[in-house]
Amino acid sequence: MPSIIQARGVRFKYTQTWVLQGITFRVRPGDYVGVIGPNGGGKTTLLKLILGLEQGEGVIKLFGQSLSTFKDWHKIGYLAQKSPVAQTRFPISVEEVVLMGLCYDGKHKEATAENLRAVHQALAQTRTEHLAKQIFSNLSIGQQQRVLLARALVSKPQLLILDEPSTALDADSREMFFTLLGELNTKHGVTILLITHDTGEVGKYISKFMYVDRELVFFGDKEEFCHSQKVAEKLGTFAQHTIDHLHNHGHCPLGCTCHHTHAEEQHD
Amino acid sequence: MISEFLSYGFVQRGLAAGSLVAVICALLGVFLVLKRLSLIGDGLSHVCLTGVALGLLTQTNPLYMSVPVVLLSSFGILQLMEKIKVYGDAAIGIVSAAGLAIGILLTALAGGFNADLFGFLFGSILTVGRTEVFACVILLGALLLFFLYFYRDLLAASFDESFARTRGVAVKRLNTVLILFTSLAIVLALKVVGIFLVSALIILPPVTSLLLAKTFKQVLIISCILALVSVWSGVYLSFLFNIPSGATIILINILLLVLAYGYNKIRSAHAR
Repeated sequence: MPSIIQARGVRFKYTQTWVLQGITFRVRPGDYVGVIGPNGGGKTTLLKLILGLEQGEGVIKLFGQSLSTFKDWHKIGYLAQKSPVAQTRFPISVEEVVLMGLCYDGKHKEATAENLRAVHQALAQTRTEHLAKQIFSNLSIGQQQRVLLARALVSKPQLLILDEPSTALDADSREMFFTLLGELNTKHGVTILLITHDTGEVGKYISKFMYVDRELVFFGDKEEFCHSQKVAEKLGTFAQHTIDHLHNHGHCPLGCTCHHTHAEEQHD
Repeated sequence: MISEFLSYGFVQRGLAAGSLVAVICALLGVFLVLKRLSLIGDGLSHVCLTGVALGLLTQTNPLYMSVPVVLLSSFGILQLMEKIKVYGDAAIGIVSAAGLAIGILLTALAGGFNADLFGFLFGSILTVGRTEVFACVILLGALLLFFLYFYRDLLAASFDESFARTRGVAVKRLNTVLILFTSLAIVLALKVVGIFLVSALIILPPVTSLLLAKTFKQVLIISCILALVSVWSGVYLSFLFNIPSGATIILINILLLVLAYGYNKIRSAHAR
C-alpha cells in the first residue's frame, strides 16, 4: 500500500533564508501524527508545502501521486489555525460553508438533497447541526472552528491535515474535538497530520510525533520520542520541558508504555 | 424639472455611463473588499494620471492611453506581491506613488494643469461620449458572463483562499482576471467620478451592502442598487445645484453607509 504522504529532500526558502531543509518522511495509512516544534520552526510551512499552497524544492507525493499532478483533493480535509473570516462580515450560511468542502478539482456541488444530507451528517459529527441555517460570521470563533472541521470532514477524507485547530476552542469543545479525531482515526482509519502545542490532551490518541525546527529533528513512534536522545540534545531546555510535561511526574499523557520506568526513575 | 433634465443627450449619456460604471464597480468591489484587495482601486486610479497625462502630451484620447498603463501597473502589483513577496498594500503603494509621480512630471511637460485634466481628476460625467457608453456596455456584459460562469469559484476564493486552492479552484487565475476587470473599470470610471474618487465607487457600495445583506447574492444585488441610487441622485443634485457630480456621488454613498450603519444598530437592538 502506498504511503499517504511521502516527502523526500523537501526544502523551502523565503527570499534568501531557508525556512525548512532536509525534510524526509513517510506517513502510512492510519497514522495519527502530531507535528510539534517551536514557533517559527516551519510547521505551518511544511503543511502548506504538503497542500501545494507553497512551492518548495524536493519531492512530495500524496497517495502515491506527485503533488504537481495530484487531483484527488476530496481525499484530503484541511483545517487552518484561524477562521478565514474571523472578524469580517461575510453573509454566507453554515450550510453553504460546509457544502464548499464537497468541491474538488475545481468542481462545485449543488445543494441537492443528497449533498445537504452529507453536510448535515458532517455538522452532526462536530455538534453544530443546530447552526446550519445561521450566518457563519455571526458565530463565535469556537463555533466557526467546529463548522470548518465539518467542512473538512464532509467529503469523508482519508487524510486530515490540521493546523493548531484547537487554539480558539474552550475546554469542552477541545475534548469533543480530539475525541472525534481519535474516533475518526481508530474507527474509520482516517490518517491525521495535526500541528499542536496541546501534546497533553491529544497525546493519548497520537501514534507518531514529528518534531520540526527548520529541519526534521524527529519522526517516529511516540514511545521513541519520549526516549530520543537526539531530541534532548538538539533542543535543550525546550525538549526537557516538553518531555517533563509529557511524563508529568510518572504519568505519561502520551499514553506511552514507558511511563512506569520514568516514574521509577524520578522516585529514585 | 426631472423630465427637462432627462431630455438632454449629454445627461442621458452621462447617466447611462454612470449607471453602467456604478454596477461594474459595485460588483467588482464586493469581491475586492472581501479579498482585502479594495485598495488596488485606489492605487490603479492614481496610476491613471500617468495615462491621462500621456494622452494630453501626445494629443490622443487619455482613456486610450490609460488602458495599457493601468493594465501594466496591475501586473506590476501582482509581480511585486508574488515574485518579490512584497505585502499587497505596500505593492499597491509603490505602484500608486510611481504612477502619481510620473503623471505629475508628464503633466508639467504637457503644459501644466488645464480644464481637460481637471475633468479626469475630479470627474465630468456630463462630458461622456457614445464610445465610452458602448465600452461600458461591453465591459459589463463580459463581467456578468465571468461572474455567472465562475460565481462559485469566486465565492469560495473570497471566503477562504487557501481552502479553495486545496479544492482545485484556480485562485491565482481568478485574481488576475478580477484585477484585469478592475483596471478597465477604473479607466471607464475616470470621467464619472475622477481619479481621486474612483476607488470610493469600488469600496463604498459593497461595504454598505455587507451591513444590510443576509445572503451573498443579496450583497451583490444591494451593492448594485446602492451604486445606482448614488449615481442617479448625485448627477441630479449636481445638475440642480451646479456642484461637482463626482464628489456628490461619493458623499451620497457615505450618507448611505451611515444610514445603513444606523439601521443595522437599530435592527440589532430590536433583535435582542
